[in-house]
Amino acid sequence: MMQMPPKIFFYLGIVAACAALIPPVLAVQSRNTTSEKPPLHPFLDMDVQPKFKPQTESVLFADGRSARPQPAGTVARDEAMEDTHRNFGVVDGQWVTTMPRDLPVSMDLLRRGQARFNIYCTACHGYAGEGNGTVNRRALELVTNASGPVNGTVWVQAKNIHDPTVTVQPVGQLFNTVTHGIRNMAGYGTQIPTDDRWAIVAYVKALQRSFDAQLQDVPPDQRSKVQ
Amino acid sequence: MSRFLFPRWSNAVLPLVAVGGAIAPLYIVFLIAYAWSPKTIEVGYKPAQPVPYSHALHVGQLGLDCRYCHTTVDRAAHASVPATQTCMNCHTQVQKDSPRLKPVRESYESGRSVLWTRVHDLPDYSYFDHSAHVNRGVSCVECHGRIDQMEVVQKAAPMSMGWCLECHRNPTDNLRPLDRITQLSWDQRTEMTAEEREALKKLYHINPSENCSTCHR
Repeated sequence: MMQMPPKIFFYLGIVAACAALIPPVLAVQSRNTTSEKPPLHPFLDMDVQPKFKPQTESVLFADGRSARPQPAGTVARDEAMEDTHRNFGVVDGQWVTTMPRDLPVSMDLLRRGQARFNIYCTACHGYAGEGNGTVNRRALELVTNASGPVNGTVWVQAKNIHDPTVTVQPVGQLFNTVTHGIRNMAGYGTQIPTDDRWAIVAYVKALQRSFDAQLQDVPPDQRSKVQ
Repeated sequence: MSRFLFPRWSNAVLPLVAVGGAIAPLYIVFLIAYAWSPKTIEVGYKPAQPVPYSHALHVGQLGLDCRYCHTTVDRAAHASVPATQTCMNCHTQVQKDSPRLKPVRESYESGRSVLWTRVHDLPDYSYFDHSAHVNRGVSCVECHGRIDQMEVVQKAAPMSMGWCLECHRNPTDNLRPLDRITQLSWDQRTEMTAEEREALKKLYHINPSENCSTCHR
């Protein structure tokens, strides 16, 4: 009969085995749940360098931003906006009726315009421009809520771009509306680059035209498809 | 001083010590590999934000395109967090008195930034370029997950170097047509055949580099 160790060692062994299970259980829990706390980061290496990345904080400036706004009265290179046709849709105080010279209407431009329209405009105006976008619908729901408008929501029905008051507008005026907004619509000049705003204008014109299309507008060889 | 002698019962414990000695290194290696993996540490980071902005509502329900707010994602390396003005495009009217929007209104009046908490923060020595990916068929969803279903954004992928390289070595399954790039509910793995994805790889000239200097400068 082999001599056995004292009982206490058995108990210690069982406790140690159980304790060894705790770290894996915690790790499995951590892998399968979310956490509000920042991830553990014991070795920083060069992960956090004393440099500014876009939209980061800085203690150097009063507003706490690393990105600096453009000083008042200055113009960035290539942003002089001397071409009023291209940048404002205006020549000699009149809305322009043509596209800028370097942005002729092409199928590529219209496709670009369609893609950008679908990103920035459809929320309110809808994909066909009839003013029935999802945001418009949601806002109207909030306004007509049974127990009063939710959180002070006010809303004016988004414009139907096929409305005669819109279809008569020259491209320069449409460009101005996209850039600076109108009535309750905010301007998209900072969100959408100039070229893309012109592409949207070209697409809006095409969209308006499509609502007024006649059979004669369809190429003869394809007329049978739409008849 | 008397010499230390192992008690006689040590012989009974010897096999146990041998087994324990063999298991312990394995235990430590597997524990560290699992617990210290970015899949454990990084994935699931879900910080509370100053405004409880819901992507599930704005993207999932209202169908806003990612690029409506993150405007620079297809023309710059950095996908911008929207300016307060972008929120106020709608919220000067919709829910304009909501207490949850208070920090946005304060920012709009004071001109100071809303202090959003960054969820995805790569090490400063890696230079990821959003535009290079979204303009060549890699959808937002491949890295950020189903943002359109998240009430609060959480980190969906480990974003470790090994994880980046998985795709750089075998990108085909992660490619989709450009017109569906922000359509997070669409999955090219079920909607397209492997041959179609392979064709996209050729069309977009996808030839991902594994060179160090591609991401590290």
